[in-house]
Amino acid sequence: MEKKEEVLRIENLHISFKTTAGTVKAVRGVNLTVNRGETVAIVGESGSGKSVSAKAVMGILAKNGVIDQGRVTLSYYRSPQEKVTREILEMKKEEIRRHVNGKRIAMVFQDPMTSLNPLIPVGRQIMEGMIWHYNTPKEEAQKKALELMELVGITDAEKRMKNYPHQLSGGMRQRIVIAIALACDPDLLICDEPTTALDVTIQSRILELIQKIQKERDLSVIYITHDLGVVAKVADRVNVMYAGKIVETGTVNDVFYDPRHPYTWGLLSAMPDLGTNDERLYTIPGSPPNLLHEVTGDAFAPRNKYALKIDSRLEPPMFRISDTHQAATWLLHPDAPHVELPPELRDRIERMKKEAGYHESE
Amino acid sequence: MSQNKNSETAPLLEVKGLRQHFAVSRKFTVKAVEDVSFYINPGETYGLVGESGSGKTTIGRSIIRLYDPTSGEIHFDGNDISGRMDKKTKDDLRVNMQMIFQDPMACLNPRQKVADIIAQGLDIHHRYQSQKERTEMVAEILHKVGLSAEHANRYPHQFSGGQRQRVGIARALVMNPKLIIADECISALDMSIQAQVVNLMKDIQDETGLAYLFIAHDLSMVKYISDRIGVLHLGHLLETGTTEEIFSHPVHPYTRSLISAIPNPNPVLEKSRVALQYDYKTSGLDYDAGTLHLIGGTHYVRGTDADLERWV
Repeated sequence: MEKKEEVLRIENLHISFKTTAGTVKAVRGVNLTVNRGETVAIVGESGSGKSVSAKAVMGILAKNGVIDQGRVTLSYYRSPQEKVTREILEMKKEEIRRHVNGKRIAMVFQDPMTSLNPLIPVGRQIMEGMIWHYNTPKEEAQKKALELMELVGITDAEKRMKNYPHQLSGGMRQRIVIAIALACDPDLLICDEPTTALDVTIQSRILELIQKIQKERDLSVIYITHDLGVVAKVADRVNVMYAGKIVETGTVNDVFYDPRHPYTWGLLSAMPDLGTNDERLYTIPGSPPNLLHEVTGDAFAPRNKYALKIDSRLEPPMFRISDTHQAATWLLHPDAPHVELPPELRDRIERMKKEAGYHESE
Repeated sequence: MSQNKNSETAPLLEVKGLRQHFAVSRKFTVKAVEDVSFYINPGETYGLVGESGSGKTTIGRSIIRLYDPTSGEIHFDGNDISGRMDKKTKDDLRVNMQMIFQDPMACLNPRQKVADIIAQGLDIHHRYQSQKERTEMVAEILHKVGLSAEHANRYPHQFSGGQRQRVGIARALVMNPKLIIADECISALDMSIQAQVVNLMKDIQDETGLAYLFIAHDLSMVKYISDRIGVLHLGHLLETGTTEEIFSHPVHPYTRSLISAIPNPNPVLEKSRVALQYDYKTSGLDYDAGTLHLIGGTHYVRGTDADLERWV
C-alpha cells in the first residue's frame, strides 16, 4: 500500500430508468474509487444497482436508462510518460466505444453462454478486439490469441481456436470470455458475477486464474457479486450496496470482522456456516424495496429490527469509522443508543478471527 | 434427526441400479445416469450434489417419470414405478410425489392466476366438493408458505422471485405429497431469500413429515438441509452417507475436491486457500470398474478394491 494511483473514480452517480410504470431510481448516489492493481468488490442483492453502476461506467446502459448526475473519471497512460484523465459521462457513445470499451475497461459478464457469438470461432472472437482497437496484423493477433488462451489455462489452444462456443464447456467458455477481456491489455477489468453460472469447483479455478493474471499485469478488478465467499477470497476492499446506495465500505477485514451496518450483519448471518450445526438459517425479513417509489429515510429501515425513529424520516449519511471503513447507518451517530451485534454473529466472527489468527491491531 | 425414528420402517423411495440413457443418434448414446442406487426414508431429506452434467436433474426427472428409465428399479411407497404403471399406481405417484423447479420465472404459467396454478392438481384429482372449498384450500396453502389469501388472484409476474418460488412450493404442497423433488429450487434466488425458502422448507417438513430429494450444486446449503447426501459425478453415484459422514470423512477424491471448493467467508483464511484439483481424465480412476463399498454406518464409496485401499 505504498503509492495509490487512482484508475477509476465514481462520484455521486445517480441513474434512473424510465419505465411504463414510472421512473425507477436504480442508483442513488454511488461513490467509489479503484486504485491500480487493487480488487474492489461490490456486494448486494439483485436490483441493488450494482450491475447498473458498472454498465454506466462502460457506457452500455439500456436505452431507457438516464444518468441524472454524477461523474466518472478514468485515468490511464497513453504512453509511459503521458497520463490521461477523462470524464466518461461527458464522452460520446462512439468515443467511449473507440477509446474505452475493451481497450481501457473490459467486462466479463455473468453468462458465458450469451456473451459469446455462437457463429464465430472463439479464436477469432479473441482477435477481434485487437484488430479493431490497435490494427494488429492478423498473424500477430493470432499469435497473441494463442498466448492468451494458454494464459487462461486452455490446453490444446491451437485446436480450440477453431472451436465454436457450443463445443466448449461452461468453464472453458468463461475462460475464453476472460481471454477476450484481456486481449487489449485493459487497465480495469469489471467482472459481473463471473462465476455465478459455474460449478463450485470451476468457480475457484476461475477466481484463482483472474487473481494470477491480475498480479502479473498489475490490473485493477471490480467484482460484482452476491456471493460473500467469493468476496472473501478475492477482494481488497468491499462495498455493500442496498437499494441503489453503498451502505458500508471498507477493507475486506473491516467488513468481515467488524461489520457496522445492520444490512451487512444480515448478509453475514444469512450465509450457511459450515462450522456450526444450527437448525435454522438466519434470514433478513421482508424483501428489498421497490425503487419505483421514492424512498424516504433509510431504505433498509423496514427490514431492520434495530431501526431508530429517525430512520423513517432522514437518510443516514456515511459515518466514518476508520480511515478505510465507513457505513451509512444512524446507529453510528454519537447520540444513537448503543446496539450490540446479534449474538450469533458475534460468536461467529469471534470464531472466524480465532481460526484466522487475526488481531485488531493488524 | 430422522435416522432413529425410521430405522425400522421401509424406505419411502428406493432406487436400484437406475440407468438413464439418451440416444442422440444411431451411433451415439449419452449415458446420463449409470447404475445409481439410493433410498429415502419417510420424513428425511436426501441431498444430491454434483457439478452440471453429473446427472442429478436427470435422476430427479426419471424418478418422477418425466423420463422412462432405461433400466433399474424405482420403488415408491410400496409400488414399482419404473416400468409401465397401472392407472392407480400412476395416480398415486402423481399425487404423492411433487416437484419444485429451478427457475421460478419459467415454471409458472404467466397467463394463469396463482389460485389456478396451485389448484391445478386439485382440479385434476377432484379433491374438493365445491368452489368454496377449493378457495379455502388455496388460501390455507398460501398462508402456509408465507403468502396471504389476497395473492391468489394475482398473476405470477406480480411477484418477486422469492414469492414466486413460494408459489412453486405451494403448488407442490397442496396435494399433501409424501416426497417433494426440489431441483435446484434455491439457485436462482438471492442469498437472503435463499435462507427464507430453506427455512420454510424445513418448517413444512417438521409440520407434515414429508421427505425431500434436494438437488443442488451448492454444498453449504445441502449441508444445512440434508440428513443424508449423495455425491454424483458423470452419472455415477460416487459416495453416499449421512451429512456428518460425508463432511467429516470424505473418502472419494472428487468429494474431497468438492468440499475443499466451498468458499469460506473468512477473508484471512480464504485468501490463502487453494482448492484441491480433481480431473477425471488424469485421475486414473474408472468409475465403471468400481463398485460400492461400505465404509461404515451408511457410508458407501464407489471404487475398485485397490482405489479404496489408497483412499482409506
